[in-house]
Amino acid sequence: MVLDDFLHLMPLLILVMGSLITMLVIAVKRYHKIIYIITMLSLIAAFASLFEIGIGEPYHISPLFIVDGFAIFYIGLILLSSLVVAMLSYAYFEQREERKEEYYILHILATLGACVMVISKHFGALFLGLEVLSVSLYGLVAYLRTRERSDEAGIKYLILAAMSSAFLLFGMALVYAMSGSMGFYEIGLYLAASQQVPLILIVGFGLMVVGIGFKLGVVPFHMWTPDVYEGAPAPVTAFIATVSKGGMVAVLIRFFMQTNGFNYPTMILIFTIIAIASMFAGNILALMQNNVKRILAYSSIAHLGYILVAFLAGNAMGIEAVTFYLVAYFITSLGAFGIITLLSDEERDAEQMEDYRGLLWRRPWTAAAFTAMLLSLAGIPLTAGFVGKFFVLAAGVRTELWLLVVMLALNSVIGLYYYIKIVAVMFSQTNVGHERQALHPSAYLVSGGTIALLAILLIYVGVYPAGLMQLIEALIISIYAPVM
Amino acid sequence: MELTFYIAGAVAILATIMVITRYNMIHALLYLVVSFLAVAVVFFTLGAPFMAALEIIIYAGAIVVLIIFVIMMLNLSEDATQQEKEWLKPSIWIGPAILSAVLLAELIYIFTAMDVPTTATVPVDAKLVGLALFGPYMLGVQLCGMMLMAGIVGAYHLGRQKKKVTHRFLEKEAAQ
Repeated sequence: MVLDDFLHLMPLLILVMGSLITMLVIAVKRYHKIIYIITMLSLIAAFASLFEIGIGEPYHISPLFIVDGFAIFYIGLILLSSLVVAMLSYAYFEQREERKEEYYILHILATLGACVMVISKHFGALFLGLEVLSVSLYGLVAYLRTRERSDEAGIKYLILAAMSSAFLLFGMALVYAMSGSMGFYEIGLYLAASQQVPLILIVGFGLMVVGIGFKLGVVPFHMWTPDVYEGAPAPVTAFIATVSKGGMVAVLIRFFMQTNGFNYPTMILIFTIIAIASMFAGNILALMQNNVKRILAYSSIAHLGYILVAFLAGNAMGIEAVTFYLVAYFITSLGAFGIITLLSDEERDAEQMEDYRGLLWRRPWTAAAFTAMLLSLAGIPLTAGFVGKFFVLAAGVRTELWLLVVMLALNSVIGLYYYIKIVAVMFSQTNVGHERQALHPSAYLVSGGTIALLAILLIYVGVYPAGLMQLIEALIISIYAPVM
Repeated sequence: MELTFYIAGAVAILATIMVITRYNMIHALLYLVVSFLAVAVVFFTLGAPFMAALEIIIYAGAIVVLIIFVIMMLNLSEDATQQEKEWLKPSIWIGPAILSAVLLAELIYIFTAMDVPTTATVPVDAKLVGLALFGPYMLGVQLCGMMLMAGIVGAYHLGRQKKKVTHRFLEKEAAQ
């Protein structure tokens, strides 16, 4: 490793250092506040170190990694989301009596795994990043073990994630057997050189789709989503919904761009079916739920379907639309799960519809923020979700994916119903004077501030999307640059 | 050499099937050892003697011994075997098994229909493995370290607490 490698890997190295320091501090003394501050500082430092990396030429750390503008944007997005989740975690874990310090180690390591996936250009790096992320999540999902359902969620995630990793690995092995290389770009060269794509290679890609689809939580690999979302602690659910899926979307885009995957009708067909199935299954199943966490889980399945529509457009506009939609979806999901975190008490998470009845009259600001988040998920104008959906539709129309565009529009209408249902419950009058024991005002200050920030960001991006769009255009342009 | 490969592969698959169908944990583990040994032979015939040795030392040796210790500490009784028997009813596994068999048949068809390029095998010995791990893939090795750290921290946290059984299906059974 040379000095430049260190510079370009600085965000990841800072995360590694952060996790090690956290572990050593725990060994000396368990003190929640200090561990929390170390975690925040390492995430902020990692984000700050991104500004030191120039976005000119893509920087290769052969054979595993590539650091370019695209990677920097996605790492920044992941680090900021992770920071928000960490901010929400403090008040949430402070009121629980279990040991809470290990949570932060696993949190940093999971973030590291997602960042590794973003900069990978090689099957080895992709798989290692995925496993660092998955192994950390096994611990995080089942973190509050005395809770009901937490063991169930943990075991489900463990078995299904291990299973999907096995599929991914076998797919990679088949691709390697045919093409003789594991680098994305070299596989692209092999594909370009062969007139007809060999059948085994297609089988390999098909098996890889299982592993990728599992992490994205798209139909038909979505079975774990509602149970894990319900059983995991609310901040961890926010993490799974955003960081873990964002990392996979980034690596999927890079893989397709470097192997010219968009030129192969088989792959397009597979992803078209997955996108349509995800939109319909997610939205229709969400209609039948009464648990807010499960509704959001099904809605996340549908949203990944929307993202795939823009992804299938395949051109520059499509990738920009994916990125924009992802940012909007991150803000919204973090906000929605943040509010669930905020309202949860020490026994269980606020996940039943009843917990939200008359929320507007009890806690007007929280209810207003939650309404904004839900409207953004539904894609109502003046919110980030609307602009994101607009870009996705524009990308779809530009490349004449009429079927997908029509499905997307249809599903947006279905989706509107269950978001509005939650809003209606919050606005309904209640005569039950059920007020929860507020724990400590200062503990809630950080969480409340985070939610307020997210709500402002949501409206800001919704009203003035040009700023974010310029940033995306400037940074992710590098993904089209010819790579070596 | 080719015949050795296929025999060892068949043994590995059969032994692994036996692992997941045994009711008694210790019997399953013995088959697991056989499976690891067969995989080691597969590695050996493919020209990776170092990997074969590692497979035996680490998997068949250290890991299985650890699992046996854990099972001894768990102190499983006849009830566990009985419960396993109840869970593993044909009505539960027959559907997935048929579907998987269809997929397996498809895979075998694809493999036999296509000619996979056979690469010239240079024996991969310990030196080559070391050069790869501490040369181009050094960052990968360090990432493996991070993954193990996540695994250990997670296992420590989850293993520390008292066992508590709450599961939807178990609750239902307990209620009956």
